[in-house]
Amino acid sequence: MYWEVVMSFDERFDVIVIGAGHAGCEAASAAARLGAETGLITLNLDLVGQMSCNPAIGGIAKGHLVREIDALGGIMGRVIDRTGIQFRLLNRSRGPAVQSPRAQADRLRYRAEMRRTLEATSNLHLRQGKVVDFVLHNGKLVGVELEDGRRFGAGAVVVATGTFLNGLIHTGRRTYRGGRAGEPAAVELSEALKRLGFPVGRLKTGTPPRLDGRTIDWDAFEPQPGDEVPVPFSFSTDHIVQKQIQCHIGYTTPEVHEAIRENLAESPLYSGTIKGVGPRYCPSIEDKVVKFSDKSRHQLFLEPEGHDTNEVYLNGFSTSLPAELQQELIRMIPGLDETRIIRPGYAIEYDFVDPRELGPDLQTSRMPGLFHAGQINGTTGYEEAACQGLVAGINAALYTQDRQSIRLRREESYIGVLIEDLIKQGVDEPYRIFTSRAEYRLALRYDNADERLQRYGRDLGLVGDSDWDRFYSRQTRLAILRTELDETRFRRSDAQHAAVSALLGADLGDVISLAQLAKRPRVPANLIMSLLPADLKPVSEADLNSVLADSLYEGYLQSQKATIARLYQHDTLKIPRDMFFGGISGLSHEVVERLDRARPETFGEARRLPGLTPAALSTLLVFLSLQQKAV
Amino acid sequence: MAVIRLSGPEAIAITLRMAHVDRFEPRRATLTTLKAGDEELDQVLITCFPAPHSLTGEDVVEISCHGSPAIVRRIIDATLESGATLAGPGEFTLRALSNGKINLAQAEAIRDLIAAQTDAAVKQAARQLNGELSKTLDPFKERLVHVIVLLESALEFVEDDLPAPQMNQVEEILGSVIAGVDRLSQSYSAGRLLQDGARIAITGRPNVGKSSLFNGLVRSERAIVTDVPGTTRDTLSESIDLGGVPVVLTDTAGLRETSDNVESLGIERTHRAMGDADLVLLVLDGSNQLEPEDDELLKQTADTRRLVVMNKSDLPSFQPMARCVEDVEAINVSARTGDGFPALHSAILARLNSAGAENGSLLVTNARHYDLLCSAKRELELAHACFRDRHSEELVLAPLHNALKFLGQITGETTTEDILSEIFATFCIGK
Repeated sequence: MYWEVVMSFDERFDVIVIGAGHAGCEAASAAARLGAETGLITLNLDLVGQMSCNPAIGGIAKGHLVREIDALGGIMGRVIDRTGIQFRLLNRSRGPAVQSPRAQADRLRYRAEMRRTLEATSNLHLRQGKVVDFVLHNGKLVGVELEDGRRFGAGAVVVATGTFLNGLIHTGRRTYRGGRAGEPAAVELSEALKRLGFPVGRLKTGTPPRLDGRTIDWDAFEPQPGDEVPVPFSFSTDHIVQKQIQCHIGYTTPEVHEAIRENLAESPLYSGTIKGVGPRYCPSIEDKVVKFSDKSRHQLFLEPEGHDTNEVYLNGFSTSLPAELQQELIRMIPGLDETRIIRPGYAIEYDFVDPRELGPDLQTSRMPGLFHAGQINGTTGYEEAACQGLVAGINAALYTQDRQSIRLRREESYIGVLIEDLIKQGVDEPYRIFTSRAEYRLALRYDNADERLQRYGRDLGLVGDSDWDRFYSRQTRLAILRTELDETRFRRSDAQHAAVSALLGADLGDVISLAQLAKRPRVPANLIMSLLPADLKPVSEADLNSVLADSLYEGYLQSQKATIARLYQHDTLKIPRDMFFGGISGLSHEVVERLDRARPETFGEARRLPGLTPAALSTLLVFLSLQQKAV
Repeated sequence: MAVIRLSGPEAIAITLRMAHVDRFEPRRATLTTLKAGDEELDQVLITCFPAPHSLTGEDVVEISCHGSPAIVRRIIDATLESGATLAGPGEFTLRALSNGKINLAQAEAIRDLIAAQTDAAVKQAARQLNGELSKTLDPFKERLVHVIVLLESALEFVEDDLPAPQMNQVEEILGSVIAGVDRLSQSYSAGRLLQDGARIAITGRPNVGKSSLFNGLVRSERAIVTDVPGTTRDTLSESIDLGGVPVVLTDTAGLRETSDNVESLGIERTHRAMGDADLVLLVLDGSNQLEPEDDELLKQTADTRRLVVMNKSDLPSFQPMARCVEDVEAINVSARTGDGFPALHSAILARLNSAGAENGSLLVTNARHYDLLCSAKRELELAHACFRDRHSEELVLAPLHNALKFLGQITGETTTEDILSEIFATFCIGK
């Protein structure tokens, strides 16, 4: 029987990845480079790495994720570095921990570069087709079945289907099935997941209209240039070489808001047609107008989609109003009075699977060998998807090779924060990463992602020799620089001492090291740079900033660690795997249910679960302490 | 009279069996006779509180019986035979806690209430039980969350068209939170005395009337515990309720008279008693000249919290403040007649800084709460300083989040999700 199943496969892979979006591409690339024969199956091979929504990568916390993906050996950072058309380092006026890179992408070139990258990867096989079911043998996952009848065998499967999973598109009162405008939905796969017993929920997201750039009066908008010297995403990129463009900023008007309010009945969001929950931080223009009715204007960004097209993305105007109404509304915006819509905006509802079904390796506990990554786990955002794809792809390959899975801790990475939040807390709305989700925000900087994670990538085999050499030499440079800052001292008798004292209007004491000087308020990095010993090799701004950031946050991190250690001293208390929560007298049914679903391994994990009241927690704590004493 | 309380799904059934009746009217006292088999145990009042409207949130039965320990014992034994189990320490509180009837601060107040010894302390514990500490803290916590929301939004949503946080607004809110937390933590020293009681040592050289003063104070007040653990033949201790403050009064008298090695041992013990005390009453004989030993004691207690008592004001040779050290204020009393005792009470209470005890302002009586409030205050002040120095938001936020965690240990945690919700409710976020 087994041989019948195996023989019936048209092709056999170690790992199959369903979906070639941002999660699927990372998953397939990582699995293949770990040596697994990998099949990447997508509905349309021309749309590999498609940006369904805004043509941009990065942003606060999201840029951190891309840097972490890159440090681990992922591909998103490299691809955007080659196809980004406007780079900005956000939060430049703030501390290094909350600065983050962001780039506008050339949508078409990003896709092409992603496909080129995948095709250049050995062991990686692109296949076009629609997966409609899983193939099981004796209850074990052994492959997938396609709509056209082909059957592919695999030791592990990564599902990264994005909004395609039972997608339903809304514009005005019209609804139709689709995974993206103009593309079919994956309806059967959602049914297959339900048949396996997965709890499936519904979420919603939306996208704004795309405009014909030739019909925009650009002078009516405020130009927003990128950085003069772009900061790349990948640690392997030296310079951004492609031509850079400007974006433009504009605003809606009270007339637009009035017109939206009058037509709310036409919006599926307000007529009750849409049941899925949308992200609060990515509201439609309808939501903005209704929920913040006191605002007389809302900001809009005109983002060019690329060098080879006139298409312009109207960021900030996500809507599911009827297409003809969208056209009318657009023309009420100053500077867009003549503008034509190329593609109308729409809302899309799609299925997701409760991420509490997953372990930290993103494998489902219900079906060993099955991994979920991206929007199927209730997240939103390309970067959120990509980092899950990377982790799922790595672990799927490791699973087929009988190797120990990797898990990232929340203390060392935003990826760890994201995954733990998902699998322990579940989602009520599409999950987006924020820096405030990380307890150790000050330690998780975009510029030290290599220091935090590159070793893991190297140990896995995802970081090549040249990148590892780069990492190693950067760490060496930083170490030398640290020593220099400590050992370069100025005495009262030194000329620099007097000059700096005069500049800062403060007495520096008899002797001060550069490291001490850098910690004083209002001492800019370029002052430190100018005081470095002349015989030192030229120091890059990035290197100096990294070293200064370490010392800036050092004290805070220590005090924070002490606080957390003190407050959460019980967090490491282990909860036995076979713990029968229902047997703890005094816990309500609801709490027992939540604990059973999440199966926390420590008291700390239990503490972070939603819906666990202080009362329930102290009961659990008392129980655990008593049990420990009894042992 | 004694009250026996049963809690749990079987509580009512067990009691019904013992009382041989069919049902109890909820929340009505029923007079009935409890039996164990054929044996009549006692005539009792039974009140039943069906879940969830009860102390623990479960079915609760209260049996009021006659107070004889033997009867109480027999009734408890009978309930145990009928299937009840003895409650562990704090189990009722724990059940109330886990059924959401009370929060953590309230649970701790219950523990304080059980330990409370005097009326004022009971009143105080009752106030915390009603959630007043949480209620008082909540507005400060809300303001703190508001500041966090302002600063988090500023750095998290830099691309959104948000109003910049107003420097003076943030400073003002932070200042008010610090002041509020500080005021609450300040009430702790008075609060602790209310809860734990104040230790007062009476000292003085032999024959100045220490024991008379001790006995006078004990007689004039309500003694709340008669046999105090730790009482030895050497030291006389008595717990009294002094104007609402539980006081453990220790007389160092008798030490020297009974001890062989009079000088050294006496001085050592007096020292120890004085070292433990919240207040030292130094008794002098006002009817006689001060002796060198008095001067020595005056000098020794100069740096401690003390009250000088000039005894024997009823004797003709009494000289108020006579030959006393210039800047020492003394209370004139007669331990024999009780003359001057009211003034002595006020003076003692004033010294114990217990002004807050009687006026009913909210007090922090729990050492853990005090510690958390102090830690929160320290973090808030650090954040305040950071903010004034125009440090970047993430540096100001680090101690603010710490402070919120400390306060959360008293009133319940504020999660990242709560803060994000607040942000999205406050600002229009999202491109």
